[in-house]
Amino acid sequence: MRDLPANQLNPKIKNVWRINDAIWLTVVFLCCFVPFAIAAAVEPEGWMFVVLAAVAALYVAGMVVWLVVLPPIRFMRWRYELSDDYLDIARGIIWRKRFVIPFIRVQNTDTRQGPILRAFGLASVTVATAAGEHEIPGLDSGTAEQLRDKAAELARLAQEDV
Amino acid sequence: MAVDQQQAPQDRAPQPSRGDSQPQPDYPAPYGQPQPYAPAPYPGQPYPQQPLPQQPMPQEPPRHHVHHSYIWLGSIQAGAAMFFVVLVSGFSGFVGALADGETIGDDLPLLMLVIGAIVLGLVLIIGLVALFQWLSYKHLYYIIGPEEFNLYSGIFNKKRVHVPYQRIQSVDQRASLLQRVFGVCTVSIDTAGGSNNKAVQVPYVQKSQAEQLRTELFARKQYATAVQEGMAPQEAAVAVAAASGVVLPQAGAAGQAAVAGSAGQAPHNVLDAPAEIWTDVRGVFGGSAVDTGKVTYEYGLTNKELLFTGLSNNTAFVLVILGILGGAAQFASQMAPVLTGMVDPLVGQFMLLSGQLFGGNLVAAGVALVLVIAAVMWLLSIVGSAISFGGFRACRRDNRIEVERGLLQHQFQGVSVDRVQSVIVKQSFIRRLLGYCELSLGKIDAAAESSDEQQKSLSQGLVVHPFVKMSRVPEILAGLVPEFAGVPVESTPVAPVALRRALIRRGIIQGTGLWLAVIIAIGQLCSNAFIVPDGDGVIALFYINTGAFIGYALCLVLFVLDLVGAVLWFRGSGFAYNEHFMQVSNGGFARETVSFPRKKIQFGYTKTNPFQRRARTATVSARTAAGVGGTTIRLIDVCEEDARSWLDWLKPRGNVVE
Repeated sequence: MRDLPANQLNPKIKNVWRINDAIWLTVVFLCCFVPFAIAAAVEPEGWMFVVLAAVAALYVAGMVVWLVVLPPIRFMRWRYELSDDYLDIARGIIWRKRFVIPFIRVQNTDTRQGPILRAFGLASVTVATAAGEHEIPGLDSGTAEQLRDKAAELARLAQEDV
Repeated sequence: MAVDQQQAPQDRAPQPSRGDSQPQPDYPAPYGQPQPYAPAPYPGQPYPQQPLPQQPMPQEPPRHHVHHSYIWLGSIQAGAAMFFVVLVSGFSGFVGALADGETIGDDLPLLMLVIGAIVLGLVLIIGLVALFQWLSYKHLYYIIGPEEFNLYSGIFNKKRVHVPYQRIQSVDQRASLLQRVFGVCTVSIDTAGGSNNKAVQVPYVQKSQAEQLRTELFARKQYATAVQEGMAPQEAAVAVAAASGVVLPQAGAAGQAAVAGSAGQAPHNVLDAPAEIWTDVRGVFGGSAVDTGKVTYEYGLTNKELLFTGLSNNTAFVLVILGILGGAAQFASQMAPVLTGMVDPLVGQFMLLSGQLFGGNLVAAGVALVLVIAAVMWLLSIVGSAISFGGFRACRRDNRIEVERGLLQHQFQGVSVDRVQSVIVKQSFIRRLLGYCELSLGKIDAAAESSDEQQKSLSQGLVVHPFVKMSRVPEILAGLVPEFAGVPVESTPVAPVALRRALIRRGIIQGTGLWLAVIIAIGQLCSNAFIVPDGDGVIALFYINTGAFIGYALCLVLFVLDLVGAVLWFRGSGFAYNEHFMQVSNGGFARETVSFPRKKIQFGYTKTNPFQRRARTATVSARTAAGVGGTTIRLIDVCEEDARSWLDWLKPRGNVVE
């Protein structure tokens, strides 16, 4: 494809992703692991330990993939660019997507900050059109404000298009 | 969100009683309303300094109540449902008592008492329902304010819905059979507001009142839009006043030409006569017809089109296929004894025995029965869809498109033309063979408040012609939506490599035939591995294996169909764009062409997977707001360069460079 958009996310986002994914993986892991662990404690049988070992191995493998392998790649692939009148997003590792969102179609722009993002001093910006919304995760607060203002301003000039 | 519940500003401008810009309809106000229905003036008009003397409450625009049939028709419906429940439960109790061997003669007084109590209870309940309906009727009214339409409802929990005129997408009318008899209908007002917007429903509106309301809403919307575009309010009001009786300038020369071409010879069909009677009678409380604007283009369905609409609907097609399959299955089971005789004398003996037991005629009768049932169902579905399209009329009235249909349940949809998102030409396989298509308009749909079937059928866009010859499509579009003139003609085909990829995708990855064959093979292998081949097992295995081979044959047919479909898709697919429009065609056995203005594209994106990157192709997707929550129009495997230039075109002002 043609040249990628210029801006990358804030590098701190990698840690945000790591923490997020670690929480999810752990929750899923506990949901699978605990029932078998209780069953094994009550009435130990051979196959239960095999299942427990398999679940634990999957968990470790998942942690490695989502915490070590994926974040840098995802970070590399996630690019955006704010031109004067459109938002350009390129993302995706296997299925690579390239979005063009004209600002005149944008209906509202939000900034959101969860606890993890706040801890890192980041904010995510959501750009909503009449047919779906796009989130740019992890911009530092200043950029997020700027982006939101710009989108809001351009969205006001709605009747432009030829 | 266009519709919100909030407190209204208190500083409303004083209202004169009559708007001078609107022709005053001359019909009585039979629904207990203090003053005759008077459209409020446009806010830009100079208001009189003093409130007019005959207006008792100058601060309040008139409240419009719905028709009083809301009280009794609603009660009757609720009562009927209740009565049915009581009847069923009472009947089952009665039958139960009879079954226990009791005779009625023994305790007749008691029975009478019980029946009396039930009747009393029923009357009480109906009375309560009626009271409730009456109370909610008292609190259900709407006000056509200067800037927005307000609907008030609720007895205890007051609810007020505001609809700014500008946000009105469409105003639809629906009427069930009972409602039609009494000349009332449900008006629903759609607004655009993301995926969670709901249509504002005004139930039991008198027919002429509904027509009046629709005209008023659209005129006010037009006014609001004109003001927003920078027109002086007074000027805009005058323009709208003129326009509510006159053709809009946007209708253009094409619209006029179309009128000239088709005026006076709109096609008719057999069901139009009863539909016209309906229209003329207008129901008990219908009121006189209201002039809602000038029609610039109108058409109906011819007999042939109506018949084929019924014939080619999908349920009918599925039923025919099912019938044929059922017949084939019966036939196969009839043939089984003969086959078995050849394969295994022992099994043959067994089958012969069973054949004698059940009689060969029974099988033939089964075949006949299945075919007859299929034929009857088919006929019923033809009649059903013919009736639902009976009295079909589509027309262009001022700047909106109106479609009405339905002989029993009446549906009326009016969509403002600037809310039309796309034009969809859909050819199912049968329509394609005949050279016909279904023509529909994509519009923003409200999330269905009640998920009945009618709402579902509405959400597939606005069907402006269910069965039309391809050669007539340009004429209809020129008459109905002249705004869509200038849709690109020459289209960019998909990349050459797309054929190979389509064959792989449709034949293997998504190949119904292949995966069905795999499932059958697994089943066959498993059963062959696990069933012990002794007496009964041999017979079972024989059946399984024979069935599997029939299955394989079916899979082969499906597989070939998949491949043919892939080739057809490759030949028939492409996309095109010019300064104002984009068009995407997706071919195959069925074919769908979607044209939409660049303005209506909310955003677009390209998507590639690793294989596509190697083949240097990309999937292009454009997203519009049509439907509930948006629609993606997608074309797989466009050349990389084409996709790139399309993305450039999508950028603001990118179309000028092209």
